[in-house]
Amino acid sequence: MLVLTRKSEEAIQIGDGITVTVLEIRGNQARLGITAPPGVRIYRGEIYEKVRAENIGSSGLSPEDFARMKERLR
Amino acid sequence: MATVHTSRFGTLEVKDDRFLHFPDGLLGFPNLRRYVLIDYKDTPLKWLQSADDPDVAFIVADPKSVVGDRPITLGGDVVQFLRIEREDDLAVLLVLRVEDGKVVPNINGPLAINSSRMMGVQAVLDRA
Repeated sequence: MLVLTRKSEEAIQIGDGITVTVLEIRGNQARLGITAPPGVRIYRGEIYEKVRAENIGSSGLSPEDFARMKERLR
Repeated sequence: MATVHTSRFGTLEVKDDRFLHFPDGLLGFPNLRRYVLIDYKDTPLKWLQSADDPDVAFIVADPKSVVGDRPITLGGDVVQFLRIEREDDLAVLLVLRVEDGKVVPNINGPLAINSSRMMGVQAVLDRA
């Protein structure tokens, strides 16, 4: 992992299109400003990880699971 | 017509215009981009079967049948990504799983589909 130290109001440029600016640092929180081209989707890491983990846990269900769910939704 | 091999449903013959395209895949499955939706008359549940991996299929449903009238607010990025022109073209499906005997939807990751373009994306919602 690339590690860079930045102060408030300093930025990181990723490729040609993405800029991440440290807007404010207060205690253990950093406020970041991000500009990116349209179509680049940006998520909070923990939410992305939650959705990904739930997808993986849902990808191998069986026809029996389907039948059980169908009963529950009735 | 195209042939889709599946581990649950055997071999399916699918019309070319029935494939759903997820250009970014689903989270955790970025390389699986083509899906087939299998629905039934007697249940709101559907299977979303990957056309590229026989083993990968998700049980999905219209949010109304799972979470009632609780609204699901998609961001403008999703509408833009799917190039939605008419509201009627937008369909939403929730991915379901079973946990402790209960049906649990992936409420932070609804699937948004442009039904006229047969194109979809998994939204990621901070608050749901």
